[in-house]
Order: sequence, then C-alpha cells, then structure tokens
Amino acid sequence: MAEIRNYTLNFGPQHPSAHGVLRLVLELDGEIVERADPHIGLLHRGTEKLAETKPFNQSIGYMDRLDYVSPMCSEQAYVLLIEKMLGIEAPIRAQYIRVMFAELTRILNHLLWIGAHAMDIGAMTMFFYSFREREDILDCYEAVSGARLHATYFRPGGVYRDLPQRMAQYKKSKWHNQREVNKWNENRQGTLLDFIEDFTNRFPRYVDEYETLLTENRIWKQRTVGIGVVSPERALQLGFTGAMLRGSGVEWDLRKKQPYDVYDQMKFEVPVGVNGDTYDRYIVRVEEMRQANVIVKQCVDWLKKNPGPVMVDDHKVAPPKRSEMKGDMESLIHHFKLFTEGYCIPEGEAYQAVEHPKGEFGLYMISDGANKPYRLKIRAPGFAHLYATDEMSRGHMLADVVSIIGTQDVVFGEIDR
Amino acid sequence: MESVTRYVKSLFLWELLKGLGVTGRYLFARKITVQYPEEKTPLSNRFRGLHALRRYPNGEERCIACKLCEAVCPALAITIESEPRADGTRRTTRYDIDLFKCIYCGFCEESCPVDSIVETKEFEYTFEKRGENIMTKEMLLAMGDKYEEQLAADRLEDAPYR
Amino acid sequence: MVSIEIDGKQIKANDGAMVIEAADDAGISIPRFCYHKKLSVAANCRMCLVHVEKARKPLPACATPVTEGMKIFTRTPLALQAQKGVMEFLLINHPLDCPICDQGGECELQDVAMGYGSGLSRYCEGKRVVEDKNLGPLIATEMTRCIHCTRCVRFGEEIAGIKELGATGRGEHMKIGTYVEKTVDSELSGNVIDLCPVGALTSKPFRYRARAWEMRQADSIAPHDCVGSNIHIHTKGREVLRVVPRDNEAVNETWISDRDRFSYEGIHSADRVEKPRIKESGRWTEVSWEHALAFVGDKLKALPADKLGFVAGPSCTSEEYYLFQKLARALGTDNIDYRLRQLDISDQAQVAISQTLGQTIEEFEQNNAFLLVGSNLRKDQPILGHRLRKAGLRGASVSLINSMDHEFRFPVANKLLGGAGDLIRNLAGVTKELLAQNASYKRSKDLSDVLSGIEANDTHRSIAKALSSANKATVILGNQANYHPQSSTIRALAAAICELSGAKLSIVTDGGNSVGAQLMGVLPHRGPGGKKLSKTGLSFNEMLTTSIKGLVVMGAELDADTLTGSSALETAKHAEIVVSITPFSSAAIEKYAHVMLPVGTFAETSGTYINTEGRWQSFEGAVQPYAESRPAWKVLRVLGNVMKLDGFDYFSTEEVMDEIKEHVGHVELNNLFEWEAPAVTGLNGSNGLEMIGDVPIYSVDAIVRRAAALQGTTDAVSSCVYLNSNAASKQGLMDSDTVSVVHQSGSISMTVKLDNRVPDGCIFLPSGASTTDSLGAPFGSVKLDKLAGSINDQGAIGAANV
Repeated sequence: MAEIRNYTLNFGPQHPSAHGVLRLVLELDGEIVERADPHIGLLHRGTEKLAETKPFNQSIGYMDRLDYVSPMCSEQAYVLLIEKMLGIEAPIRAQYIRVMFAELTRILNHLLWIGAHAMDIGAMTMFFYSFREREDILDCYEAVSGARLHATYFRPGGVYRDLPQRMAQYKKSKWHNQREVNKWNENRQGTLLDFIEDFTNRFPRYVDEYETLLTENRIWKQRTVGIGVVSPERALQLGFTGAMLRGSGVEWDLRKKQPYDVYDQMKFEVPVGVNGDTYDRYIVRVEEMRQANVIVKQCVDWLKKNPGPVMVDDHKVAPPKRSEMKGDMESLIHHFKLFTEGYCIPEGEAYQAVEHPKGEFGLYMISDGANKPYRLKIRAPGFAHLYATDEMSRGHMLADVVSIIGTQDVVFGEIDR
Repeated sequence: MESVTRYVKSLFLWELLKGLGVTGRYLFARKITVQYPEEKTPLSNRFRGLHALRRYPNGEERCIACKLCEAVCPALAITIESEPRADGTRRTTRYDIDLFKCIYCGFCEESCPVDSIVETKEFEYTFEKRGENIMTKEMLLAMGDKYEEQLAADRLEDAPYR
Repeated sequence: MVSIEIDGKQIKANDGAMVIEAADDAGISIPRFCYHKKLSVAANCRMCLVHVEKARKPLPACATPVTEGMKIFTRTPLALQAQKGVMEFLLINHPLDCPICDQGGECELQDVAMGYGSGLSRYCEGKRVVEDKNLGPLIATEMTRCIHCTRCVRFGEEIAGIKELGATGRGEHMKIGTYVEKTVDSELSGNVIDLCPVGALTSKPFRYRARAWEMRQADSIAPHDCVGSNIHIHTKGREVLRVVPRDNEAVNETWISDRDRFSYEGIHSADRVEKPRIKESGRWTEVSWEHALAFVGDKLKALPADKLGFVAGPSCTSEEYYLFQKLARALGTDNIDYRLRQLDISDQAQVAISQTLGQTIEEFEQNNAFLLVGSNLRKDQPILGHRLRKAGLRGASVSLINSMDHEFRFPVANKLLGGAGDLIRNLAGVTKELLAQNASYKRSKDLSDVLSGIEANDTHRSIAKALSSANKATVILGNQANYHPQSSTIRALAAAICELSGAKLSIVTDGGNSVGAQLMGVLPHRGPGGKKLSKTGLSFNEMLTTSIKGLVVMGAELDADTLTGSSALETAKHAEIVVSITPFSSAAIEKYAHVMLPVGTFAETSGTYINTEGRWQSFEGAVQPYAESRPAWKVLRVLGNVMKLDGFDYFSTEEVMDEIKEHVGHVELNNLFEWEAPAVTGLNGSNGLEMIGDVPIYSVDAIVRRAAALQGTTDAVSSCVYLNSNAASKQGLMDSDTVSVVHQSGSISMTVKLDNRVPDGCIFLPSGASTTDSLGAPFGSVKLDKLAGSINDQGAIGAANV
C-alpha cells in the first residue's frame, strides 16, 4: 500500500488572513488540520531591551507600538506601573480621561477585530462599516494627542494635555458644498467631549447594524458555531485572558477584579459566553463594545462636570507647564533634567496588568534605582492565545483556521514585542 | 410556535434579507466618502506631522542648540552639532532628523524650551532616493518659514493646555 | 576615632573630621556647593545644612566637626526644609540659562535643585546681572551664573598660589572677578572649570561643542610630562572633545595641568597626515600603506646597518619604544636614541638604568628639604610643582640653583641664579661645603678637580645645612640640568651631594615616557631592561656628526624637538632616506623626510606610559585613529613583517607588554650610580652675553605646539630674546627693539623683550620653536647686534622683516 503522508502547508507570513506576519505551518490530512505550528518573531523589535536603554518616559511611545490596534491601553499599563513604583497617583480627572480613552480604545480594537474577522470569513461589508466608526475614534485620538494611532498621550502622573475645547472641522471643496460640509461638521461644533458624547449616542445603533448583519446570519453561524471550542478549565490552563477566557464562561475581568484608575466608579456588565466557541467569543466582544460605550458615557458626564488638573503637581516626575518653564529657574531646571535624564525610580519591582481589549496585558519591571528600567517584561495576552492555535484548530478544516486566528484577535506587535 | 417561526424565517432567508436591508439603506444613503487628495479630513491643531524649525519674527532662528530634543528623542533620530556662531551665540551647525527613525512622538517639541522644533500638519511626503529621509537644518527651517503662520496659530491655541 | 551616627547608621570617623567627610566616607550623600575635599572649608553656601541632635538650628555639615556620640540626620523635615530654603535662595539670582549653558546636564546646581529644591519658584522680581570677565583663552565666563561658592577663589589662593580670582562686595553685590582683572595664568588654571559647580566658569575651547550625555568617556594617561596624570578623554564620534582629570591620589590627586587638559586640540590640527606619503623628486604623493611600508623596508634593508639611525621622541608609549628598538636591533644596528635634547651623555654607561624621581610622588611631597637644580618644575611638571608647593607651604626648605628666576609661589629658602657655568659652580659650592663637614667621604679625591677654586658662600652653606639636617631631603635635577652641555658633571655633583647629605636624587626628565624609553632600551648602549650590549651604537648627538644614510624618526620633529635643530636637519638632509613616523606634517618634515607614515596620537592608540616614579600605567585608545593613520605599534609591527624580521607577530599591545615584562619586569629603579670623576668645567663666565635656553611649557611636543588655545595663553612664549633691564641698558637695547642674535652656527633677527627673571649677563631664548633652530644648542656665548631702524614705535614690527 502506498504510504500516505500529511501535507505540510505554509500559511503566511504573507497571507491576508494571517493578521500581519503570522507564519503558520499546517500539517493537513486532506483538508483536516492535523497540527498547526505558529512561528512568531517576524515583527520582533526588542521593545523590552530598548526600554532598558532609555529613561522611563521615552518608552511610552514604544508601548503604543506593541498592540498598535489598541495603543492607549498598553500606555495605560505602562504609566500605571510607573506610578505604582513611584508611589504617586494621577489626579482624578486624568484617571477619568484615561478610562474614557481606554474604553474608546476597546471599541477601536473590537471594531477592527470584527471588521477583519468578518472579512476573513467572507462578510466584506463589515469592514467598511467598522472602519467608518473607527474614523470617529481616531479623530478623538488625534484631537487629544495629535496622532491618530501612536498617541503617546498618557504620562506617569496623568495625561499630557487636557481635552481640547474645539474640534477640527471639514472644509468645503469642489466635491462637497458648504451645506454638505455643515452636515458633517454638525457634531464637531462643541468640545471633544461633545463629539464623544455624540458618538456614544450613535454607537449602539451601529452595533445593532453589525448584529443584524452577522449574529443571525446563517453563513456566519456556520463558520463560527462550534469552531475552536475551549472548555473553561482548558482556557484557564492555557493562560487565556480577556474575551477568550470569558467566551469560555469564566467571569474574569481585571476592571472588576483588580480595578485600576477609576474603574471602581464605573457601572458596567461583564459579558460571559457559554460554549467557548468562536461564535460565543463574537457575542462577548460585541457586548463588550456596548459596555465600553456605557463606560465612555459615564466618563463624559463626569468630565463635563469636573474640570481640574490632569497631571500631578510634582515636578520631580512631571515637567512643569511651559509658561512656568520659561519664567522661573526651578521649573527650567526640572524641565531640563526631566527631558534629558528623566526621573529615577526607587529600587524595587512591580507588576501591573490592565484589562486590555485582548486580555490581560501585564508589565513587570525591575528598577535598580536608576533613571531607566533594569528589566522590563511584557506579558502580551495574544501570545498565550496564539499558543493555543494548535489545540483549537486540530481536527478542523483548513478554512476554519482562518476563523480561529480571527477569533484570537492576534496582533503581532505585542506577540513579537 | 417559536420553532415554527424560526423555520419559516429560515426558509425565507429572513436574517439575510434583514442584512441586505442594512446594506441596501446605505446603498442609497448620501455618501460620506472624502475625496482625498482634493479634499481632506480635518486635522487637529495638535497634529504631529513633519518637523520644522521656527524662527523669531525678526528672522533669527530660534534654535539655541540646547540639545534637549536630541537627548529626549527615543528613537535617536535627531543629530545636532553645535558651536559658537561668529556673534558668540550658541547655534547648531547641523540639525538632522532621520525620518526613517523618527516615531513622531512629539517629545522634541515638548522638550524645546524656545518653541523651535515643532511638528507641522504636513503628512504627505515621500522619498524617492536614498538620503532624502534626512531632513537637514535648511529643510527644517524652510518648512518653518513655509508654515509659520499656521504653526504660530496652532501653538497659540494650544498654549493653555501645555 | 569617634563613633557617630548618621541617619541611624553607626560610623567611625577620624578625630577632627567634619561631618560631611564622615558622611562621604560612609556613602551618605549631603548636598554641597562650596565644600571640596581638596580645598579649605568656607561654609558659605549653606547647602549642607543637616539636623544634629540637640542642636537648636541646622548645622553646616562641612564646618561641624564630629564629636563622640553625635547623632546626625540628613533627611529629617528640619534638614530638608533648610536645604530647600537654601536652594531657593541660590536660584533667586540664577539666570534661566540651562539651555545655552555648557554645564547643563553635568551641573551640580541642577542636580541638587532636582534632588533637594522645590519644584516651583516663588520669586518673581528681577534678577541681577554681572559683567563678564575675560579670563584668557582657556576659561569662558558667565559670571551671572555664579553662586558665590568661592571654590575658584580658594583654588587660586590654596592650590594655584595666585590670588587670581577674588570676591568683592557682599550679599547681592558680591562678585567674583579676576584680581585686578589679570588673566588667569596659572599652569593649573583649568581646574577651576571642574571645580565650578555651575556654568560660570567653563572651558572655552570646548564651548558649545557637546553635552555631557553625548560623550563617551575613556580612561587615559596624559603624555606631556613625566608625571603621567590620570585623565578621562571625552569623545564624540571620532573626535576628542575634552579632557578632564581622573582622580588618583597617588599621582595627580584631582588636578591636571592646563597642558594635559587642553592639548587635545592639537589632535585635530590641520597638520594631521591622512595617508602615508612618499616624496618623489621633491613632490609629496599619497600612497597606500602596503606601498609605503614596502618602500621603507626596501630602502632600509638596502643600507648598511651602521649607516642606519633610529630616533624617537620622549613621549611615545613603551610598546612603541620596545618595537622600535627591536626593529633597529633586528636590522643590526644599535644607533638608536631618544635623548634628543640632552647634549652631554658622556656618563651614559654609569647612569642608572632609568632615571626617575627616586621615590613615589606622595613620598616626594613628604620631603623636608629640596634642592632644585636647573628646573622650572612649576611649568615643566606642573603636578610635581604643585606637590613641591604643598611641601613648601608646609615648611619644607626649598632651595633653587637655576639659570632663570622662575617664580615659585611659596617662600623659597635659598636662590642662586646664573648661566650654565654658574649653575655648576653653585652646585660645586654646595658640594664643597658638604665635603668640608664630611672629610672622611671616600670619593673626595674624585671631586678635587672640579672643586678646585670653588669657594662656598653663605648661601651654599645654608643649602648644605638644610639638606644634611633634614631627615628627608631630595635633590632634583630638572629639564635644564639634563639639557645642560655638561650635565654629566651636574649629575656627578648631585650624586655626590646626595651621598654626602643623605638626600635622595630625583631626576625629572622631559617627555611623557622617557622612563619607558630608557627601560625599553631606546639607547645606543643598553637593550631592554638595561641589558648590556656588546658594542655601543651611536647616540643621537653622534649621529649628527657621522653620515647617517637612513634615518627613522618616531614621534619627534627634528627641528623643534631637539636642542640642536640645525645640525639635525643638516644630517637629515644628507641621508638617503628619512622616515618620519608622525601624526603631523610640518614644513620642516616635508623638507627633511622622504616618507611620512601617519600614526595616532596618545588618544588613538593603546599603550603604556611609565611615569617618573616607575609607575606603569596602561590605557586604551579613546578614538579611532584619524583618517588612515594607524597606531604606531601596528606600523612598526607590520614594518617588521614587511622586512621579514622574526618576532613581529603581535596582535595587541598586551602581547607586546607581556614580552616587555619578560625583559624589563625585574628591573629595580635606583637613581644613584657610580659616577666618574667629573671633568673640570670649562664654562667660565663669558665676557659677553651668555645664552640660556629652555623649552617653554607649551612647546614641549608636537601636539601641544598645535593646541590653539594653549598657544594663546601668556605662558606660550613668543619667539623673542629675553633679557633683564640691566643687561639691556648695558647693550643699549630697549623693549621691542629688533636685534640680530649671533650664536655658534648662525644668526637670526628677533625682537627684544625685557624680563627681569633673566639673570645679569644672560639672555633667554625659548627653544622648541622652528624659528630658533638655526642657532644651535642654546648655551654658550652669544652676541646681540641691534638692527638699524628698530625704534620703539609701530615700525619696529615691520623692521623685523628687513
């Protein structure tokens, strides 16, 4: 009898469904996946090592570039870690701003995930719709930080600048006359908070639309129900966190269990799945978007009512205001030293995790008392999830691998670090 | 009863038709497409694009070669060389920004004590030849001269926040 | 010892120590501005206020002596509040200069303000402005930044010995300025740059070049004098940007001389040679290293060994010396020498294997009596000069037998001045007096010739008494004694004086590594480690009188690094091939050399210097050698390979050093030697004028001569004829007259400068400059002819060209 061997297939790293630079070596028996072997490291930039060579603040921008789909959440973990090690706390308004943007970022992340996931499976339109909403959130990013993606906005001790009072507006062109442009600019008349509020009012309707397109859709269900089932026990053993864990029915959310910033002031629900399959994880994430929207709303309400400082009043950590820096000696010295040497963190070590859209994003830092970390370890949630690809896809068809990668919501910036 | 409804709905592709209803509505709705490049999305006054070196209104360059931007640059994209100018003031003889290295974090602008190095709203640029990624002092000053009005207005608006 | 407690830590402190010293030893940091461990306590900045138990007010740690059982707290609210208050006061008048201030980033004021000051200022009135002072070409000032710690003032008084900076006014009106606005002209003045805790005093050549954080720091050794001061070289890219001292209590404490600090400018001079060059029919062309080395190898091998000469300057590394002599001896010649400025080496067979200080630098300072012979120690070896001054201020008796009345900034017990002959006669006088007290001296007969006709006068007696009565005494032979045309007589007499009085003999030599040169055997009569040779080769002076066909010159410029420049150039002119292993080119080298092999300076090579104590100090190169130049040891190594000589297969200076250690490791250094009966001095006072020559502080080697800022100082002697007003009026000369100086081998026209440090009947002509090389050795009688047309007006300068 002729020897039958499994067919080995290289999936990626230039595959459109590989979500970046994943290289998956698949052993196939016909169309059945026998083994999936993810190869990582193609986007390795040495963030951990880079952080060891520069003052603490200079690494904030590199946190953005870990999970570039949800930049501000990684930033949040980093600044919280440094605040923990320094023993300082950001002003309450800054904490609200951070929570608001963390939740906007969650929406941002899930929108990209749902768009890409649906497109992988075949629902092209979702991608357009989700990117339309992303545009609004990216405008918020830009309004507050000046960058649409890599914000570098959170700082140890608060945030860089308070929210702007004005939104940039569309200008009329040969394509759109003043009336049309005025319509576009309707929600841009007030402050950034007004703009966000308007978005939160609109957003549930958009989510309804996504659900109309997907939730009951038979093709969607055929491609997701019963695919990549992970039992709650197995999910815990595999180190799953975030929606991957909650999709399997484990109620675990750091925002509830270990609240940071002002999450303890927020009212929101944690959605939990039942079957632990791709469909449940989809439902969980969609609900998370709705809950994030609820949190953003609460933050907007609070922020509108409570003006105040957004940065600690400690110039040993936070640079003074520019007007002060130009006028008095102490401030100038502190400005100079903070931007060249930075501050020193007392000897010690700490771990700080946040409920990142993808799961538990943790940073572990050891300081030897210098102005840069002795060691920084990044715990990327996507790594643990990707690790389960083999287990999740074994016995499934080749086409299901795409849904499994999609449901894992992997981003190689954080996995490869 | 419920299972009957579900069966009927399923038979008549109800959920698919509902989905098509959503897409159909958008098919006939007014388009929100922005016709780039003739038309652009609005840019925040905090936008961090291509760099520029500014001058004082009297034409004197602001930069005093304090090198704070060089020190704070996480990507080590800035290279400065300095020496006393003929009038004895501290000036740069070289101010290069490697746009391949730059991560547009805005720290240089944040650190500048004289508002010299700034990030403009310019974001449309390409390099065709090796070496064009280096922005020299002359190029940066030219950028500053070109956009000075806009830069000054943006900085003025943002001043209360910084 | 008393036991105290600082911040709960039990500490043992010396009796009488100040709290801040005890804290520093225990590693507890107390902020300070005015306190410096090497300066007296001023306690005027008040930054070091600490909380002492049972004291009602915070006390300054720098001026509070420790007492038994004292409890000190540096971080209590009382102490912190006091420190914060002081910091606020200090910053009231400080200008907002950080961005343009060179000190930014390494500023004590910034650091302490960050660590102890408040984050915001409460002061909003106007700040004071202080006029700047001109402190010469080395130190840039910005006096508005001054916080009146008075470290520089105390440095001037206590270390440099010049009250060059002083404080006037009080409170808000206090100002630091140069005393009577005079240029800072101490040879150690650059140290105030390090002392100044703020940016009021900064380095002028380094001005605005770089920030502290951009530079790399390399440990190195200063190559310009035999002290071997420990330095840090700060570099950026391939450029040396500055040199700062590295603490070494045994050598240079925390100081370095201006020469060591600012000489780095010479490294990047425009004279650097980029590629090997060969002169073909009078025209220089750049060639590849392979070509140049093959060319040199062929030429040298083609010449008979006894027609080869190897000449090195006194500041190369030991490894370079070793390979240099190895190369020479592998080619079969012993015509090798480093003594380019020594005119009399007739006692070379007897003298010590290596001439050294004869004691450590720390021991040197402990002597109670010094006799300085022919030495301008302060300028020639500034760090030794500082040690001598410390001894002098402590009460040691310092006597001088010099040709010039060099200024020593402490009370000098005895001073004898005069020309070359007088120097020997005075030394003989001291010997005679010592001999009279010690009739049983076994070698008295050997001295009878040289002492005949010598009468000891009161000063001689006083010197003799000081030397023999002190329990630790030293006779120092300086550069001029070594350059003296009868230095063998000086050495014999000095050795006799030491034997008679029990003093130690110190021979301080020129260059950065002459001890190394001697130990490595860059001598015609001794191999490495003082190994006796079967036959003696030609010394440098002998090479000048024989026809040398092939000359290899390493680390020296024959015109400026010798005392007999004209004859050296003459010899080179007649040679078939002159190879110059040099970092720099010059007009003279271009004229006399046929091949230039560009090599790195001390900052661009690894190696070892052996200082005057016999201390071996190795260092690494701080930067890549300039352009295509290579470290000299590599050039010699490859030259050995090219000529197919055995034993030139080293991969690093460490390997060379291992081999050196085998040959030299056993040598014990001892200056005393079996001197031969000195010849009768023929240097009777000449009827006319006598010439005194010496190498000024900033002309000692090729690098220093190219250091622009140093050449702008008052110590950079211009090429003039110096004589005192007495002699000038006898000759009918006035300041700025132009004269023709007629000496042994030639005459040149120069400007007259009046200088009362020159003794009667003498003129002083600085050596080490290419302008004076045609005059021959700077000793003996000389004639000055006043040139017509030289008058005391502006025409004088023009007339000099006639």
